Amino acid sequence: MAVSEIWTEKYRPSTFEEVVGQEEVVKRVKSLTDSLNIPHLLFAGPAGTGKSTMALIIVKTLYGDKWRENYLELNASDERGINIVREKVKNFARTKSIGEVSFKVIFLDEADALTPEAQQALRRTMENYSSTCRFILSCNYSSKIIDPIQSRCAIFRFKLLEKKDIEKYLMKIAEAENLTISPEAIDEIYEGSEGDCRRATNILQATASISQNITPELVRTIISNAKPKDIRVVLDYALAGDFREAKDKLLDIMLKESISGQDVIKAIQKEIWNLPVEPEIKVKLTEKTGEIEFRIVEGSDPFIQLEALLASFVLAGLGKE
Amino acid sequence: MLWVEKYRPSKFLEIVGQEETVQKVREFIGNFNKLPKAKKAILLAGPPGTGKTTIAYVAAKENDLELFELNASDLRNKNKLDEVLKPSMNQQSFFNKGKLILIDEVDGISAVDRGGLTELLRLIKTTNYPVILTANKIWDKKFNELRKVCEFVELKELNYKEIKDTLIQILKKEGLFINIDIISSIAAKAKGDLRAAINDLQTIAKVEEINHEELSERNKEESIFQILKTIFKDKPREELLNIFDFTSEPLERIFLWIEENIPEEYKEEELARAIEMLSKADIFRGRIYKQQYWRFLVYENIFLSYGISASKRQPKQGFTKYKNPMRVLKMWMANQKAEKKKKIAEKYAQYVHIGVKRALREFPIIKEIIKNNEKIQEELRLDEDEIAYLMEEK
Repeated sequence: MAVSEIWTEKYRPSTFEEVVGQEEVVKRVKSLTDSLNIPHLLFAGPAGTGKSTMALIIVKTLYGDKWRENYLELNASDERGINIVREKVKNFARTKSIGEVSFKVIFLDEADALTPEAQQALRRTMENYSSTCRFILSCNYSSKIIDPIQSRCAIFRFKLLEKKDIEKYLMKIAEAENLTISPEAIDEIYEGSEGDCRRATNILQATASISQNITPELVRTIISNAKPKDIRVVLDYALAGDFREAKDKLLDIMLKESISGQDVIKAIQKEIWNLPVEPEIKVKLTEKTGEIEFRIVEGSDPFIQLEALLASFVLAGLGKE
Repeated sequence: MLWVEKYRPSKFLEIVGQEETVQKVREFIGNFNKLPKAKKAILLAGPPGTGKTTIAYVAAKENDLELFELNASDLRNKNKLDEVLKPSMNQQSFFNKGKLILIDEVDGISAVDRGGLTELLRLIKTTNYPVILTANKIWDKKFNELRKVCEFVELKELNYKEIKDTLIQILKKEGLFINIDIISSIAAKAKGDLRAAINDLQTIAKVEEINHEELSERNKEESIFQILKTIFKDKPREELLNIFDFTSEPLERIFLWIEENIPEEYKEEELARAIEMLSKADIFRGRIYKQQYWRFLVYENIFLSYGISASKRQPKQGFTKYKNPMRVLKMWMANQKAEKKKKIAEKYAQYVHIGVKRALREFPIIKEIIKNNEKIQEELRLDEDEIAYLMEEK
């Protein structure tokens, strides 16, 4: 298979040695893998710290070229319900592994997206297929995984990557891709990435797709363009008395970000506390917001109800609410 | 004026679908009285509306001949025949014009009318001018003799496409728009008869002129404008309660029109009150849907009409240019886009080992990467639609 043009794939570490940071985890996982036998694993840690990469390195080490045949990747937040997960696991586990390792590996990403009930079902599935399959579960917080599963897994905690780790990784890419990049630009990328190495790599590639010369300004532009549009601007227009502009902006944001009326209500309810209005107005607006949330449930067209809310903000802006 | 006359071809080139016949008629006239064995008449046989008479007309025109049309009854009218057949010499020299004799629908000569047929045969023998005969069916025994003395050409039926194209050409020249489905069905119904098709088209065009799509759209809007004006401008009156009964517009549409135009008419408190009414109307609409309890429609209607009308302090004057509601269209377009975005995110997510939801969250940056790199587009097997989506997204 040709090398991918997508840098998160192109520069994804394929051996334990290439992994940046996570020294403790790497050391222990490597020794487990070298023994050609692993227990079920639970990887806990923030996004973009190397959990999926670690799983891929494990299967590549275990199976070499045959890793694809012996590896199933599932995403708990995408699969519709635990039954789909079980069905896929069943189909995959039915055939024996290829090669000298006696089991196959199933990677279940975002396992903490499963409800506790679904996790119970998952636990039984893990037991049923334990002779032929090993599970690697990944999650952001191990506390969201039920105890019976935790006790069946070897748990590895992935730390947020340190700035120096991300810097090292980005510099490697910049060198390979002939990019000019200043330390300030690296700082900007790191800020924007929030310690997520995948996101850092994506920001770098998005910026590089505009210019080989990575400047802090360019990075900032890319990051700010990617930020979801804020609901605050809608409220500001309403408070200033411009109803039409407020509702047009609201529609734009809802359509652009594909967010529901209920999501908008939630955001508005939180934003009320940041508005430059008197405390009693905040209470009145909150009351109105609650009423509108109720009406959205009752009514048929959420946008009409949100318009009614904006009209209340217009009155509040005039000091008439 | 009948379109069959108005758009009758005046040149051979304009005749649709009868190239072979046209060629034979040209040769017939060109060779007339020049070759020793040339026949003096040509018989064009074919179904109605395939262009027999038209070909005769055009032949006269293109060869600069004067056309004399005879029908079956003329054949027994000695004087008329003589007039046609024995032209005065000075007339000929004066205009310097030859003649072409057309005898239309010879199969109309009845079997009893032996005299007519005999006269026809005599005419063909003695004529100094080329004769064109037309007929629908010529295989009757009584025409055996006639077929022998005539050159014989059979016209083919026009096919569906030839008819349809001709109809479209006519509409273009008339500057009319008629739904293509209607044109197709006229063409199909004609079964090869172009004249019938053109007549049908003209009839339908007359009806459509009144019922023209754009026009009817305008009428609809006028009735909507009337409703908006009554609600927004006039004093609230009880008659408002039936205002939606007198329009064919669905209530859903009216709802959107009112929503779109409240801010055009009302400001501040009036606006807030009117939108509150809209909100209440929507609540009852939701209850109707969820509980299928249609009596709630009364409340939806009252809030939407009287309620919004009563939101103003006093009647309003002046003209307001009402706006066409765009929200539903915008939502529809956004949904189309969201579908494409999701498909791209799915392809990407699977490829780079992440969940689709995460790919969607990170989409603004991912989009920048994919957009500017054709190799990645190939890698992810994006189709043209998906690539087009990325390109037009800012």
